[in-house]
Amino acid sequence: MGDPRKRLRIGLIALGVVLTLFAGRLLQLQALDAPAYAAQAAAKRTQTVNVPAERGALTDAFGVSLAKSVDAYDVTADPTQVQKYDPHATALALAPLVNGDPVAIEEKLRTPKSRYVVLAQQVDPAVWEHIHQVQKDLGKVRRNDLVGIYSTKHSKRVYPAGPVGANLVGFVNATGHGGGGLEMTLDGQLAGKDGRTTQEMVYGRRVPTSDLTGREAVPGADVQLTVSRDLQWYAEQLIAAKVTETKSESGTVVVQDVRTGQILAMATAPGYDPNHIGPGDVHNLGNRAVEEAYEPGSTGKVMTMAAVIQEGRAGPGTRVTVPNRLARADQLFKDEHDHATQQLTLAGVLAKSSNIGTILASEQLSPDRAEANAKLHDYLTRFGVGQPSGLKFPGETPGILAQPQKWNGSQQYTIPFGQGLSVNSVQATSVFQTIANGGVRIEPSLVKGSTGPDGKFKPAAAPKSNVVVSPETARQVRDMLETVVADEGGTGKNGRIPGYRVAGKTGTANRVDPKTGRYNGYTTSFIGFAPADDPQVVVSVTLQAPGIDGGGGSLCAPVFQQVMTFALQSRRIAPSGTAPLDLPIEW
Amino acid sequence: MSLRLRPASRVAGFGTPDLGRLAPMFTPRRSITRQIIQRDAPVRRLDWMLLGPALALSAVGSLLVWSATRNRRGITGGDPQFFFKRHLLNLAIGLVLATGVAIIGHRRIRAFAPFVAIAAVLGLMAALSPLGSTINGQRAWIQLGAGFSVQPAELAKIAIILCMGMILAERVDTGDLTRPGDKAVFWALVVAAVPMVVIMLMPDLGSVMVLAMIVLGVLLASGARARWMIALMVMAAAGAVAVVQLGLLSEYQIDRFRAFADPDFDPGGVGYNTAMARLAIGSGGLMGKGLFNGEQTSGQYVPEQQTDFVFSVAGEELGFIGCCVIIALFGILLWRGIRIALHADDLYGTVVAAGVVAWFAFQAFENIGMNLGIMPVAGLPLPFVSYGGSSMFAIWMGIGLLQSVHMRHAGAFKTA
Repeated sequence: MGDPRKRLRIGLIALGVVLTLFAGRLLQLQALDAPAYAAQAAAKRTQTVNVPAERGALTDAFGVSLAKSVDAYDVTADPTQVQKYDPHATALALAPLVNGDPVAIEEKLRTPKSRYVVLAQQVDPAVWEHIHQVQKDLGKVRRNDLVGIYSTKHSKRVYPAGPVGANLVGFVNATGHGGGGLEMTLDGQLAGKDGRTTQEMVYGRRVPTSDLTGREAVPGADVQLTVSRDLQWYAEQLIAAKVTETKSESGTVVVQDVRTGQILAMATAPGYDPNHIGPGDVHNLGNRAVEEAYEPGSTGKVMTMAAVIQEGRAGPGTRVTVPNRLARADQLFKDEHDHATQQLTLAGVLAKSSNIGTILASEQLSPDRAEANAKLHDYLTRFGVGQPSGLKFPGETPGILAQPQKWNGSQQYTIPFGQGLSVNSVQATSVFQTIANGGVRIEPSLVKGSTGPDGKFKPAAAPKSNVVVSPETARQVRDMLETVVADEGGTGKNGRIPGYRVAGKTGTANRVDPKTGRYNGYTTSFIGFAPADDPQVVVSVTLQAPGIDGGGGSLCAPVFQQVMTFALQSRRIAPSGTAPLDLPIEW
Repeated sequence: MSLRLRPASRVAGFGTPDLGRLAPMFTPRRSITRQIIQRDAPVRRLDWMLLGPALALSAVGSLLVWSATRNRRGITGGDPQFFFKRHLLNLAIGLVLATGVAIIGHRRIRAFAPFVAIAAVLGLMAALSPLGSTINGQRAWIQLGAGFSVQPAELAKIAIILCMGMILAERVDTGDLTRPGDKAVFWALVVAAVPMVVIMLMPDLGSVMVLAMIVLGVLLASGARARWMIALMVMAAAGAVAVVQLGLLSEYQIDRFRAFADPDFDPGGVGYNTAMARLAIGSGGLMGKGLFNGEQTSGQYVPEQQTDFVFSVAGEELGFIGCCVIIALFGILLWRGIRIALHADDLYGTVVAAGVVAWFAFQAFENIGMNLGIMPVAGLPLPFVSYGGSSMFAIWMGIGLLQSVHMRHAGAFKTA
């Protein structure tokens, strides 16, 4: 073994053995196991990629865009790559292109051991196109200023109308799905269905020759709403100004089509700008017209009147003697102002908005109070009180209407004049829509229809409707409501519109302070419809907790008057041409 | 220097019988052409069976490196042929170095062996000093500027071969002894130990293993007593145990062995390279997918594919046939190397050739074995084929040494 030559020959044999071993292993890998390895390798290369569906647009009743999706890019960087060159130069070159702060950008570019930072979010496609062009130009002259800058394509939701309709339309969250408002309610229609493709990927790029499999994305439907952007804008302007002027907590305006139940505008103030949502907007992102329940007060008397008339217990001319105080359930009820005993017609009770007169009227429903309560509860329910509005809005409240057996001593006398129960603005508006529509309540709706990927317009399902009172009852209540506005002694004088006959009712109710749960401050409102002789549009205006003196007639009726005028004119509804009806209110 | 094996009749035409000074000894009267084609011209005494496979492997390597890097814009700077060109440039420099070594000759280089060793050790220390730079956790490089860097460990391989050869063969080639004495073996091992210790500090475990194999090959070929080899292997085993036990190995080095023992260990981490390399090789099949057509390669699934895992490019794109050709080329090359060692005129030539063969063989076995998943991962390039300047230069200097031994042995004229 000591001979070098022998040892080298043994080495030669060892060499042969090892090389043969390698050949054997190669044969195992590349012949026996090759199909398995090839399949594994192919599986490694193929990727299933989600193809996001394009989100549908929201338009107003006339096709004006309220929400749509556009392409946008996030500008990103690979700091590890950038740091090979000059992060300072990169930041200086990029900052003006994305309209950013070079110091902040440089800081991000110097992130240690990172391969991904976002430098600017949701920039216009044109901005990224420009960056990309500059990148190419710099590359041609062998400069590295913008090496390591990339982009990620996103879909961006924009609201062309800005704050107009924001609380109604809502917003999308970071996942691209509805986070509030109609964006959330209608997400199922708007979102569409994401597609998937399975493809061979090489270093982030698709192999051009590889087969594409998967299913295509189905774009979301475009949804047309019933609201009109212009009316919405006008209502928002007025209510915002009025909230400021009256130092109110908030306010809402609801405009509804009498014949179809469609919501024509739903405004709330304060609002927000959906294109720039900020931390201060947290309390203003919702839609108060459906989310906030309040005691309606005098506008609720309309339902009591309708019930009494429908039951055949009274008519607009029925004589009511109204004392200054009325003792019921260990309590002395009073009207807004002290007065000598009044001789009022039923129409007069509504025109003067007498609580005592309304209690006396409600007692006509049945000599037995429990039976009277049950009857009134039945009517209130059919008017939609305590029921979901049918809009299926996120965060919607149905209000509170207790079962009649549970109405306590005084509550059974306050409910007839609108205290001790609560509604939202849409429900309150709906009561007047029912009267205006001849006693037929039509569930309020916001969607006119949708246009799917097939391009065909599909009208929304017809809204539910129910008969609450007879046409004759509805006509008599309508006449009484017209008297409220038309009579010189009525509370609704500020709601008058020259040339049009207007019916309406004021409301000034004790308001439950949501913070303390006790009565504190007022809810003032005015709800009415026009033309009274051929009702087309209902408008309700509500102010929560105004900081100045005044009731529904002085604070809300002027807004009603302006919004109604705009609605009538923009809908080209002809003036009435007849004198307003003014029923006798005293006897 | 012993002259007893040199037949006088074969040196006709030379001004001096010293074969160590081949080139300058040609008589100036002859034309260049005749110098090249004459029967005893150096070119005709080259071992073409050695040079051919070496050139073929380098050429294949340049294509594989090209294929592995042409899509890697992050490292090519936009020129798909950047690494291809650099590989060919490295090869050209390597050929010049090999020619220089072959012309100067291993015997004359022997005189410089101590200086080569000192230069190598100084270079290694420089790499460890602030002059050096760290790549992949190893402080093994010296940046020369303009994108060039050298790995002094590659020079150390040649230095150890030359120095050990010098020390071991001295008394034998003078005829004083029939085999290296224990004193010579001891000093040879001491000389080899110095650079190995420095490289261990880097820590470059792969290079240390190559050096250990060179030492073993050199000792075997020198005819040193078998007990030295046994003692060395026992020491190596004990050292390995100690290194692991004392925690001298880095976490990643231990993980590499774990990943080797258990292929499913951490497939996203240390096992990733080998798993990806095996996928590429396995999916190549018998015939391969064709050069530039490997999806795993062009998809850059295998990390370090132009260097340590270049064999996986061959596996995927050239298939079983191509891989067998590469292995066969190594077989021919190593066989010729052993043959040169066997036929060397003196023990010094035998030892130098054997050292070079042990070096090439171990690097080739380890690299191909790790690509095939039958050896643990160690960062060793595949000779001739992998991209890398320092390695290429050293490898071709090794070829230069082999050719030098071949050209200067008595039988060279017969085979010419």
